[in-house]
Amino acid sequence: MEAIMSMENNIKLLLVDDEVKFLESIAKRLALKNFDVTVASTGEEALTSAEKGLFDVAVVDFQMPGMDGTQVLKALKEKHKFLEIIMLTGHATIDTAVECTKLGAFKFLEKPYEFENLVEVIKEAYAARLNKKFEHNQKRIEEIQKLSMVESPLGLLRALARLDNEEK
Amino acid sequence: MSSAIDFQNSEDLAFFGKISASISHELKNILAIISETAGLLHDLTELATKGKDVELEMLKTCCQDIEDEIRRGFDTVKQMNTFAHSVDDALKSTNLADVINLTINLAGYLSFASKVRFDLQQDSPPMIFTCPFRLQNLIYQTLVYAFESAGTDGEIRVSVHQEPDGSARITFSNLGSESSRVFPSDMTKKIAESIGADIRFADDYLGIDILVSQLNQKRD
Repeated sequence: MEAIMSMENNIKLLLVDDEVKFLESIAKRLALKNFDVTVASTGEEALTSAEKGLFDVAVVDFQMPGMDGTQVLKALKEKHKFLEIIMLTGHATIDTAVECTKLGAFKFLEKPYEFENLVEVIKEAYAARLNKKFEHNQKRIEEIQKLSMVESPLGLLRALARLDNEEK
Repeated sequence: MSSAIDFQNSEDLAFFGKISASISHELKNILAIISETAGLLHDLTELATKGKDVELEMLKTCCQDIEDEIRRGFDTVKQMNTFAHSVDDALKSTNLADVINLTINLAGYLSFASKVRFDLQQDSPPMIFTCPFRLQNLIYQTLVYAFESAGTDGEIRVSVHQEPDGSARITFSNLGSESSRVFPSDMTKKIAESIGADIRFADDYLGIDILVSQLNQKRD
């Protein structure tokens, strides 16, 4: 019988940093811990990867040439609302932390950090994502139940289509 | 102390602070890479201890990466040291090629830096009696504008040559038109004025010349 997969096996991670060597090292370390890791060295590349693959958590460097970390955070959150994003920075300031939190970042970590701490934060972010999705699905079920009491089958289908559009 | 001197001193200090912060950011990046790569080596060692196969090539890459980053760290510290000593003498005979090279490296730490190609157009580097620290600031401000105008994919060309009258001309070319910022700012103009330098745009606005005079000659 196949062993029960650990939590890490399930987590699909997107790592975004313009420091390629940093990106490669951290990706290998996380892969050794059985995370499913995809890397991107620019914001643009990160958005393309996010379109192709469904990620649970993204770890995004704050300072990058071209699209910077906040732009990537904003763009990812707009298109993938359940994706949890952890921001990394060389120098954290209260202003940048507040800005990122307002834009929906899960947490803000300052480099260099303890690797085990990053792993913990990724797991927390994943748990938060599962919770949000669960709550969202619960609401959706309740909505459908309410609609089914009052709508005709055709009306129900239309309402479901509207709900689907709202989620996009 | 006059307000003009106060202004210059605060601008000097602001520039010193900005460069120091940018160097510390670079050093932090280097340390982060070394830290992660050393951590990876540790993870691989643990795996090997547990009897799992570890690729030799992976170990070699880790060691090479650490060596490369240590070299990058030494280069950065060397630049930091040269920059810190640029305030030792308010005025001195200054090798322009050295100042330009250092400032290009310092500006290169900016996240939006373009590539820069520096050509020394003469066999011997131009020597100018000036304030090296303020000249660095002036070149730095010009490079920042050049990066903004050319974008990260652009390549700025910088050259320098000495004029027959002893002054020097630093030319920045291959600029783009992406910056909407007014250049030079009032602050940059004041820095230029304080060392007798003049900033001129090319007719097509894709190039900038900084004309640097010998300060002792001006005083004569």
